[in-house]
Amino acid sequence: MPTLTINGRSLSVDAANDTPLLWAIREQLQMTGTKFGCGAGLCGACTVHVNGEAVRSCQTMVGDVAGKKITTIEGLSAKGDHPLQKAWIAEQVPQCGYCQSGQIMQAASLLGKNANPTKEEVVAHMDGNLCRCMTYSRIQKAIMRAATEMRTASVSGNERRPT
Amino acid sequence: MNKHVNTITAETADLSRRSFLVGTAATGLVLGYAGVPGIGEALAAPSNFEPSVWYAIAPDGLVTVTCGKADMGQHIASTMAQIVCEELGAKWSDMRVALASNDPKFNDPVLGAQITGGSWSTMMNFDAMSRAGAAGRTALTEGAAAAMGVPASELVVRDSVISHPKSKKQMSFADVVKSGKATKTFTPDELKAIKLKTPDQYTMIGVSVPQLDIPSKTNGTAKYGIDVMLPGMVYGAVVTPPVRFGATVKSVDDSAAKKVPGFIKAVTLDDKTGTTTGWVVAVASTYANAKKAAAALKIAYDGGPNAKVSSESLLDEAKRLQKLEDSGQFFVKDGDPNAAFGSAAKVLEAEYTTSINIHAPMEPMNATAEFKGDILHIYSGNQFATRSGAIAAGAAGIDPKFVVMHQMWLGGGFGRRLDADMMVPAVQAAKAIGKPVKVIYTRENDMTMDFSRPLTYQKVKAGVDGDGKLVALSHDVVSAWPTARWGIPDFLTPSVDKKGPLDSFTVNGADFFYTVPNHYVRAIKNELAHNATPSGQLRSVAPGWTFWAVESMIDEIAAATGKDPAQFRIALLDGKGKNDGGAQRLRNTLLAAMGLSGYGTKQLPKGEGMGVACVSSQERATASWTACVAHVAVAPSGEVTVKKLTVATDVGTQVHPDNIRAQVEGAALWGLSLAMYEKATLKDGGIEQTNFDSYTPLRMSQMPEVAIAVIANGEKATGVGEPAVTVIAPAIGNAIFNASGARIRALPITAEAVKAGMKA
Repeated sequence: MPTLTINGRSLSVDAANDTPLLWAIREQLQMTGTKFGCGAGLCGACTVHVNGEAVRSCQTMVGDVAGKKITTIEGLSAKGDHPLQKAWIAEQVPQCGYCQSGQIMQAASLLGKNANPTKEEVVAHMDGNLCRCMTYSRIQKAIMRAATEMRTASVSGNERRPT
Repeated sequence: MNKHVNTITAETADLSRRSFLVGTAATGLVLGYAGVPGIGEALAAPSNFEPSVWYAIAPDGLVTVTCGKADMGQHIASTMAQIVCEELGAKWSDMRVALASNDPKFNDPVLGAQITGGSWSTMMNFDAMSRAGAAGRTALTEGAAAAMGVPASELVVRDSVISHPKSKKQMSFADVVKSGKATKTFTPDELKAIKLKTPDQYTMIGVSVPQLDIPSKTNGTAKYGIDVMLPGMVYGAVVTPPVRFGATVKSVDDSAAKKVPGFIKAVTLDDKTGTTTGWVVAVASTYANAKKAAAALKIAYDGGPNAKVSSESLLDEAKRLQKLEDSGQFFVKDGDPNAAFGSAAKVLEAEYTTSINIHAPMEPMNATAEFKGDILHIYSGNQFATRSGAIAAGAAGIDPKFVVMHQMWLGGGFGRRLDADMMVPAVQAAKAIGKPVKVIYTRENDMTMDFSRPLTYQKVKAGVDGDGKLVALSHDVVSAWPTARWGIPDFLTPSVDKKGPLDSFTVNGADFFYTVPNHYVRAIKNELAHNATPSGQLRSVAPGWTFWAVESMIDEIAAATGKDPAQFRIALLDGKGKNDGGAQRLRNTLLAAMGLSGYGTKQLPKGEGMGVACVSSQERATASWTACVAHVAVAPSGEVTVKKLTVATDVGTQVHPDNIRAQVEGAALWGLSLAMYEKATLKDGGIEQTNFDSYTPLRMSQMPEVAIAVIANGEKATGVGEPAVTVIAPAIGNAIFNASGARIRALPITAEAVKAGMKA
């Protein structure tokens, strides 16, 4: 049985190596925050992080992620308080909400590398994630809000550090 | 307005059941539902105060509102809680929401059924939720008065606290519920007599409170149908035939599927509800295995009567039907356009078409079915529990009263989840193997088996007198009839020429608020399309195509008579006769959009233009007054860039301003997506587009600037989820004409069509 390192835990899954990671996460581990949308890497609803990179879990096989660090929406933050999650609430982004786990995970991989993205960089990074409710403008605003918060937090964090 | 449904089942006839239920009487009534064990889950614990079927207050003071509407992202559950909260006097942080089962006590108080659509929910539930809230406040206040020994009339209710200013005594809602003193009951007449707050007294209505469902949609905890997990559950993957409807399975060879680990069985559906044809479901221990098994099945089909039908043949048939003088039925028959055309100074004719469109909500269709004793439990996010429960029962061969529907959050609806096809394979697989089965469509199943927005063909003829005044309009609408497919007579509308009922959900909007003395609207059913492409209600339904034709034609007439298209509309919105009231509101909305967009205030660069449209979507009696000014740039190649959409909408009363903006923006972008990016085609009886590579809804990079003005003038609250969809395509088409001289009459708009229409 393959073992997955997911959200900081080691969990064995009863799934063949050629099983899409998406279904192992959803069915074997019953973490249903990661969503099935298209099964073809075209919509981004199933986005998770593998070693910090956003990947489509419907296109990633269980056998390919052995020993790698997987993060799902459930593991993005301890209390659902990642700056992006807080920003998503502040901007009241979700409508149906189905794509939003994937949107947040996709956005988190951007802010993990670039805490000061331009609007163009946000659009380029997010364009593979469909939102059928068309919440795109709020997604953009929430990413910018979270980026601001992350920059401010790290600056103030530096200021408070005793020397 | 249409009559819609008043009595689908016997249970719904008892008005008192959904009006107000208190204490033990309520419990008795609720348990009485069809004698179904298990439905008791809908009941609150005995110690709760349940002043209405719509909500319960627990001893800890939390108020849980049960929403009988499908929540597909319009936050209707939260909106219902907000309306209750206003009159109840609760603190917003004490409010919670739950989703209703299919118990008829949760039926819509106006529609008498559980159906979510038409942008009806807020307008049709506002009064009932307000009265339920007010009744609860009255009961709690009287209970508190008794407990405190003071007159109820001296008590003040605010933020879940009932206080007596004179004595400084106070009790929280929790205290009153715990005291057991809230016992007042209300008859339907007493409920009706309650004096509700006036808008100037509102403290909650009109405030953008945080939506109650949003936190769970940022951390993965919101449960959709696809997330349901039952003990012992297995999975089903469907194999659908190459023909959308009418195919039959000749044989199934499961020899290769049997080699797939975890494979259990292939079940060929025997669907007496007529919802599906020629489907097989492969059942296995996991969904991945079920998909593998499904792919390994070798199935031979008889393609059936629609195996050669294509988009082209549907359009040809529509044109043939339109030419027949006696086809169809009249939806509007004012004056005599044909006579008026004879004396008109100018007559214009044009054909407008829209393609097949697919709902494609992000959550693919799914349902989980479990038989427990005599009861069939269905877990699925659905917009029409009243009908879907009956279809699930039909698939199971049992009486509908033995079906319990467990509502889930909907990962998008847009009208797709009014249907119940996804329940049929789940039910028949669960029955065949004796275990709970969750069926999940692949995206390919979901796209090719959509109950799509039908292909439409419209012919509009207009007559103008010597002064350039529009004096006659005849409008033929040919399409499949989505609502006729339901088989519920009350949802159809009598034709004005008494030729039997018509599906007004194919012509709504064509009965506009312009004053045109001679006006015909004919609804013509395209039987071929009706059979080959079973159609559904796609966000905004008929006004999504009727206003494409009407608002394009109005522009064509303005251009032909040398008038400014906005001023031409304003002149037509004179509010005479039956148009009084609505016409003036629509005129004002158009003026607001013009003002906000800067229409006519400056010279635009060459190749750019603005176009206007204004609509009374959804239905004449349920209109939200909506106008759009689209600003586009057209390249010499015909490529269109939508630079800005300015939308104004008169919604009467705003319950939640921020949500209205979210809905109007989403609807406007849907309108843009349908106008420019979404097209499905039928070939050899099957939908050709299978995933988001070939069916391509709007993405973030294609989003223009959207400006929204919401007009709230104190009239009754109207719907906001759909109307803005319908105003966008004609506004863009008219803007393209203004920018380039190309008149577009087919949706979606393509660069090729624009280039071909441009004068060299």
